[in-house]
Amino acid sequence: MTLSTAVDLIVIGSGPAGQKAAIQGAKAGKRVALIEQTRQVGGACVYQGTIPSKTLRESALQMVRFLQATEVFEFRMRDDIKITNLMTRLDRVMRAHGEFMKAQLTRNGIDCFHGRAGFVSDHEVRIQHLDGSATFVTAPVIVMATGSRPRVPDNIPIDHEHILDSDSILSLVYLPKSLTVLGGGVIASEYASIFALLGVQVTMVDTADRPLKFLDQELTEEFCGSFEKTGGHYRGGQNIHTVQWDGRSHVTTVLESGETLESEKVLVALGRVSNLEHLNLQATGIQPTTRGLISVNTHCQTTVPHIYAVGDVIGPPSLASCSMEQGRRAVCHALGLNSGVSPEHIPMGIYTIPEMSSVGLSEQDAIAKHGGALVGRARFHEIARGQISGMTNGLLKMVADPKGDLLLGVHIVGEGATELIHIGQMGLLHHMPIDRFIDNIFNFPTLAEAYRVAALDIAKQRQH
Amino acid sequence: MAHSSIVSLEQEERETLRAFITDQLGRGNLELPLLPVVANQVLLLSSDPDSEVAQFSSLIQQDQALAGQIIRIANSPAYAPRAPIVSLQQAITWLGLNMLAGLAFSVSVQSGVFHTTGYEQEVRGLWRHALATGLFGKEIARRIRHNVENAFLCGLLHTIGKPAILHLLSQAPGRSTERFSWRTVESLFDDFHVTAGSKLGAAWQLPDPVQETIRYYQDDQYHQASSPTKGAMITCLAHHLASVMLGNSSHDEKSLLTLPVVQDLNFYPEDMTALLELSETIKPSVECFLS
Ligand SMILES: Cc1cc2nc3c(=O)[nH]c(=O)nc-3n(C[C@H](O)[C@H](O)[C@H](O)COP(=O)(O)OP(=O)(O)OC[C@H]3O[C@@H](n4cnc5c(N)ncnc54)[C@H](O)[C@@H]3O)c2cc1C
Repeated sequence: MTLSTAVDLIVIGSGPAGQKAAIQGAKAGKRVALIEQTRQVGGACVYQGTIPSKTLRESALQMVRFLQATEVFEFRMRDDIKITNLMTRLDRVMRAHGEFMKAQLTRNGIDCFHGRAGFVSDHEVRIQHLDGSATFVTAPVIVMATGSRPRVPDNIPIDHEHILDSDSILSLVYLPKSLTVLGGGVIASEYASIFALLGVQVTMVDTADRPLKFLDQELTEEFCGSFEKTGGHYRGGQNIHTVQWDGRSHVTTVLESGETLESEKVLVALGRVSNLEHLNLQATGIQPTTRGLISVNTHCQTTVPHIYAVGDVIGPPSLASCSMEQGRRAVCHALGLNSGVSPEHIPMGIYTIPEMSSVGLSEQDAIAKHGGALVGRARFHEIARGQISGMTNGLLKMVADPKGDLLLGVHIVGEGATELIHIGQMGLLHHMPIDRFIDNIFNFPTLAEAYRVAALDIAKQRQH
Repeated sequence: MAHSSIVSLEQEERETLRAFITDQLGRGNLELPLLPVVANQVLLLSSDPDSEVAQFSSLIQQDQALAGQIIRIANSPAYAPRAPIVSLQQAITWLGLNMLAGLAFSVSVQSGVFHTTGYEQEVRGLWRHALATGLFGKEIARRIRHNVENAFLCGLLHTIGKPAILHLLSQAPGRSTERFSWRTVESLFDDFHVTAGSKLGAAWQLPDPVQETIRYYQDDQYHQASSPTKGAMITCLAHHLASVMLGNSSHDEKSLLTLPVVQDLNFYPEDMTALLELSETIKPSVECFLS
């Protein structure tokens, strides 16, 4: 018989969801074992997701600002810019982030295990180490936070050389001349707009008639406009038939319509799948859904009540921000602690170029729910700060009830959108009347002033 | 008695040769073999994203033996073409431009500058290992989803210093016709192939990640490499896998797991098993490149 170490809480996976779950457990005075299969803590968020993509985005924007400056100062940039040069900060940012998180876990007295976790029973987990040895741990509560990875569609031979996914695209050493992006979701749109800005000829292909279909249409129209200005194309309503590297210089994407697209590289961003394959879920009785997700109740409990699942492994919204909160709440629930009021208005931040962000009801949802809506708009070029900073492409849209009294939603496209949205989020949380945005003073010149302009636009439309 | 005198003779020879190579490598004006024209152009073309297949095929056509080899490799069972490959253009399409560039480079270097009389068999062994390392490197890179594009060339050229040493030995004073024992040569490889390879890499202006791999591919060195392609680390493991596959490693499947590079690449036993299973496809590919 093998000996098992008994702890109070086992957390599998050290991404945003697992970390916050472990820290919450430790803060409650529990003995926590955190198991991570990779060498570093932080999960996909730090090493393949949020942090690297945002660092690449920031570098691209800095480069473009620099290029604009070269026109003024009359010097030239190298033509053969390598992505790795653009990513120079990435290694530093990732390492700093990883070390910070590791220190936080150690400070909280969490036992971190490096190994691959698999259930032995609904209370016991086997940790397989790199050298083939194993350790066993048991606990009354277990949290699965194993995250997700890029989906590999059956008909697309991803070779990580010519046909890439959102992980392997990060190791390109030079900018391709052309890139076909398969998908129209968040990751597809973010990378498509970054590469287009860097001068790559980008074509996005998706089944939907517009990218990011879940967002307010005006926002995506603005995004598509900007994307096209940088030379990008969006091909909606298309199904992919085959994708094949021609062995020479191009990848050929054949659409079901018969049309053929050729590009130097292809990025496949057609969704993500949960990391379940090593968990040996059979030992627990938990059945994944047909889409390969773990289904949970509002407390993130699985069908086995002392086993919780949080983060990407349970599916949408699949955001680092939500994953952290799910991790914290799950452990509060398991330990019978008060987790506070459940978040009502979850903001959505999309780091395309330009940024987009959204909170509360869209115009269409407000009409469906309230029988109508008044919408106020502020374009960034009408705002002094937008003019000063050269941010003339941008729109803030406020959605109010049919009388124009109460704020129901805010939708923003333009640089700074993901920060600006939080003013609207606070307004929504406090059921703020539209007039409060008019009667108050904002710093001048700021983009926040757009709230006032949009509120005034709503006030103008009221029928007295 | 007789045995010990052979050993001491061998030791003496080794010391003399060590002194010769140390002297050669220490010289500022070291005479390294020139990169054959075709190999040089292939390398330039393969690092130019604007290069076209037509440019490659016309380049390779300049060297008939090379063109023939390429067609033969593309037709070999390892690459199982759907229809017989008759043209270079077709071969390029089938093998892939990167693979082809690496091969054309290696074939042209092998049969040119590093054709060392008296060591044909051994030099073949070196290329066999280098090719296997390149192919394993590609698969390791694919597994970690990291820059597959660079891995083949890094692996193929990581021990380019070994034939370079043989080349130097052929110039040892008064020894041009003598065949040194392979044991002696191997011990010289151990001592000098990294330095010789680095000098050759710089003289031939090999791509930066390849030069870094040559310098740092060994177990106790790859930590020093900083290229984001991770070529040195990937090649370090590929080198071990190639050695195991070709039966010249002190490691077995189990002891491979304890290598620091396996740990640093975060490979679990099942990852290593999957990689070793690839020997089945890598071995025939290597043989068909060489035959
Ligand atoms: C390109 C990209 C950009 C993104 N941008 C944003 C953004 O801007 N904002 C945002 O909020 N979100 C963003 N996301 C989403 C965000 O990264 C994820 O929602 C978040 O990482 C999910 O956290 P998690 O903890 O559930 O899983 P992960 O971060 O995936 O972590 C799971 C961890 O579990 C480990 N694991 C898996 N199986 C086992 C096992 N059997 N044993 C031990 N360990 C195991 C994995 O190694 C991993 O470290 C982005 C994602 C991508 C891919």
